Amino acid sequence: MNPNSSSGLMPSDSASGATLHTIVAVMSFLACLALGGVLTLGRLASEWTDGLSGSVTVQLLPSSQISPEDQMREAVRLVSQWPGIFSAKPLSRGDATALLEPWLGAGNVLDDLPVPQLIEVTLTPGQLVELDGLSRALADGVPGAQLDDHKRWNAELAGFATSSTAVGWSVLLLIGLATLAIVIFAAQAGLQTHREIVEVVHMIGARDVFIASEFQNHFLWLGIRGGIIGLLIALVTLVGSSFLWDSRGSPVAAQYLPQMVSAPYHYLWLLLVPCAMGLISMFTARFTVLRVLGRMP
Amino acid sequence: MVRFENVGMRYGLGPEILRDISFSLEKGSFHLLTGPSGAGKTSLLKLIYLAERPSRGAISMFGRDIATTPREELPALRRRIGVVFQDFRLLEHLTVFENVSLPRRVMGEYEAHYRAEVEELLLWVGLGNRLNAKPATLSGGEKQRVAIARAVVAKPELLLADEPTGNVDPEIGARIIRLFIELNRLGTCVMIATHDQRILEKLPATRIYRLAEGRLTVGQIHEQLGSEAKRA
Repeated sequence: MNPNSSSGLMPSDSASGATLHTIVAVMSFLACLALGGVLTLGRLASEWTDGLSGSVTVQLLPSSQISPEDQMREAVRLVSQWPGIFSAKPLSRGDATALLEPWLGAGNVLDDLPVPQLIEVTLTPGQLVELDGLSRALADGVPGAQLDDHKRWNAELAGFATSSTAVGWSVLLLIGLATLAIVIFAAQAGLQTHREIVEVVHMIGARDVFIASEFQNHFLWLGIRGGIIGLLIALVTLVGSSFLWDSRGSPVAAQYLPQMVSAPYHYLWLLLVPCAMGLISMFTARFTVLRVLGRMP
Repeated sequence: MVRFENVGMRYGLGPEILRDISFSLEKGSFHLLTGPSGAGKTSLLKLIYLAERPSRGAISMFGRDIATTPREELPALRRRIGVVFQDFRLLEHLTVFENVSLPRRVMGEYEAHYRAEVEELLLWVGLGNRLNAKPATLSGGEKQRVAIARAVVAKPELLLADEPTGNVDPEIGARIIRLFIELNRLGTCVMIATHDQRILEKLPATRIYRLAEGRLTVGQIHEQLGSEAKRA
């Protein structure tokens, strides 16, 4: 820490300043978007999995061996009596129509299409349910009945979320590495530009850490300022896109597609980006300057 | 305090510009370094203020062998040396006050500790009213005085000056020499590299080093003045 109120040893309008601000701001913007994506995917995967893990669905395909009414009654009876089942609720004709409406439009579609009847089955929380046995019992006891335990859908969702999150973290890592490389170049350029200053200060007895601290403070604030600019642009982009999505998106999109950074705590995570930019810039500049100074007599 | 033994120096793979340099500077002594341009005066000063390493030979500073002194201990030795660079080397974005107080600042001192001393020193060298001026607005002579004030502000044990009176008028030159003599009386070892005959005439009997073609010869100041008179 400099114990003086005097000016910093590095000129504040140093050569790489404006360019580096811009680059760090762009990196920060991209990092905010990537982090927003990672957080959103994580939240969605968790919501989807939680939503599906407590329930299963029984589909009743039309069968010539049994009437639809008997088919429904027999299936509900069998499922309700199975150990670990909390409830078995047949989806009414109105519910089924509402489910299909976003894809097939309003109208009496159930009269024209052989759509299966559905039973929404809720499992008792914390109780292990022998779903394979229930599936076999339904297949044997109720013609046309099939149990869908969402395992395949769940696995696909989890796989998608995991790979997308990994891509997001990789992008963040690449942004960090790119920032690091840029700051190394900038610090070396700064040393070259201010070689005269560094030599004089070195010759009058300044230790390497003193000179490095002057550089690192300069780069810390530069990184934080650039990071804040990038964060602000990213916030405008995210909030703006959410607003446009809400006002112009279709009902299907609004219901099923993810909204970027919808949870308030995600914005707190984004605040870390300028801090990270500042710290990356500071430590990179420090180590670069110390390495270069180490070559001086 | 400073001892050179058979020191040689070359830049990179170039020719040796200093050869078999041997001398010693004792505490409280006063020395002049003369020689034609390009003889190696500035290079010799650079070796003394540890800006360069010798190609061969041994240098001892303040009782430490430079060849075996760890790099991280060199700043402490440099702080015992004040240097007046030939081209001043002032930091253009700092004020006169900030330039002069730089050695105290790098030592980690608080401004409140040295402010009065720096202001007094600047008053003494005739720059009391230019504390907040930037070097770009100063004349050559004023820059010279700022450089001298910076070199002496930390009360160095060894003061090296490369052509310190080259850009100042005779009156200021005389004040600068009086400052050097005063510092010398207080125990500072002074070495001045110069062409300026006025300095030779104003100084008390002292040792004079003459560099020519990379080699150093030693004499007394009155001998030098005598030879100058004979030549005239």
